[in-house]
Amino acid sequence: MTKQWKLKEIVLMSILGVVFGIIYLAFFLVGQGIQYALVPFGLAPFGYEIIFGIWFIVSIIAAYILRKPGVAFTAEVIAGITEVLLGTTAGPGLILSAAVQGAGAELAFAMTKWKDYRLRVLIFSGMSAALISFAWHLFYAGNIALTPWLIVATLVVRVISGALLAGVLGKWISDQLAKTGVLRGYALGKELQKRRETGAA
Amino acid sequence: MISSINPSIKAIAVLIPGILLSFTFDVFTPLSYFVFILIVTFTIGGISILKWLKIFSPFVFVALSFGWMAILYTNQSFSNGEVIVTLWSLEITSGSMLTGISLALRSLCFVALSLLFALTTDSTKFMLSLMQQCKVPPVITYGILAGYRFLPLFQQELQILRQAHHIRGVGRTKGLKGKLNQFRRYAIPLLANGIRKAERVAIAMESKGFTGDTDRTHYHQMTIEKKDWIFFSFIVGIFFLIVALSYSLGYLNIFGKQF
Repeated sequence: MTKQWKLKEIVLMSILGVVFGIIYLAFFLVGQGIQYALVPFGLAPFGYEIIFGIWFIVSIIAAYILRKPGVAFTAEVIAGITEVLLGTTAGPGLILSAAVQGAGAELAFAMTKWKDYRLRVLIFSGMSAALISFAWHLFYAGNIALTPWLIVATLVVRVISGALLAGVLGKWISDQLAKTGVLRGYALGKELQKRRETGAA
Repeated sequence: MISSINPSIKAIAVLIPGILLSFTFDVFTPLSYFVFILIVTFTIGGISILKWLKIFSPFVFVALSFGWMAILYTNQSFSNGEVIVTLWSLEITSGSMLTGISLALRSLCFVALSLLFALTTDSTKFMLSLMQQCKVPPVITYGILAGYRFLPLFQQELQILRQAHHIRGVGRTKGLKGKLNQFRRYAIPLLANGIRKAERVAIAMESKGFTGDTDRTHYHQMTIEKKDWIFFSFIVGIFFLIVALSYSLGYLNIFGKQF
């Protein structure tokens, strides 16, 4: 798998992983804040679920920019390792959670044989990451002990969050980055270049 | 001292009890393991109590709120037993109470285990050990280390961006659209600069002869010694001992099934 990647693509993946590792850590606080804010309404369990999609975003951004097999998975794992290096309290177990989420995001790209990177595939990728990570948390965090209606409701919220915060926001950020021209050496930048040329001709 | 244990072995030793704890839903098992980790942390861990408390104490609230949530919304197979309290229309049974306490204790165990790892591990050594013991490709580990090194630079860059905006009179904006615009004004240049740096670092690495070949020598040789295995069997072994004890006392509960 790593044979197909160029060194600069791997370093890019690492940089994205590191940057989003920090953002992921910061969003634990955001999630906690939302959770406290929702307590009076009895909706505390949804605190983290609303923003859960943000934890898949690096998979979508990295895969959308580099467009190679394994990128979504690896970028997410790197973000997880960064969080551990920075001293997250979730511990090395977080690398496992990251691997599960990355595998979920990778699944969608694998289904298109890593050829299709339209918005709908990115959204689908965010949703599949949400679904797979939800199954993992049922087990790992002990959510399975909760009542069925709550499990279903949190699942729906997480899938929507994955579609919007990971899929749509991830594509938007990548497109904005491509516009600055720094991605000229990568698949997304090249595609943009090609589109411009055919548009001008 | 735990800081001299091989980081990969330490990570796995912390991981296994963490995963296995996810099966238990009784109070005794996580509680006794939590006490055990505390003892390890403050004796052979060599971590100062004050420093540990500073990081740990916020998570007591997190664990409490998670446990409270689990008490309120336990599913049928866990909420057996007598009704203890009735809150508005909610009935809290002894079963759901115990499940909630168990889940809270479990998350405290996770936090204590991770602190045991995080506070005694050097991040560079952890990466080197991942490369040498777990066979993670050198391109990835050195890539991560390079990215990790950029963290302080990002901070500096954010400050420069802020000053640049300030000097040009771009102030705070109001409203949702303004906020979104402001987010874009900071996030995109930061990321773009990061990507430029990534490209330069990659070129520098390659020009200095870094091929990413797994067949290479290391300046810092990470090894696994006898004491690493002793530590590993100690942390994992005590967990199984506690499970056995809790089984023989009749406390053990796995996924709502009492043994």
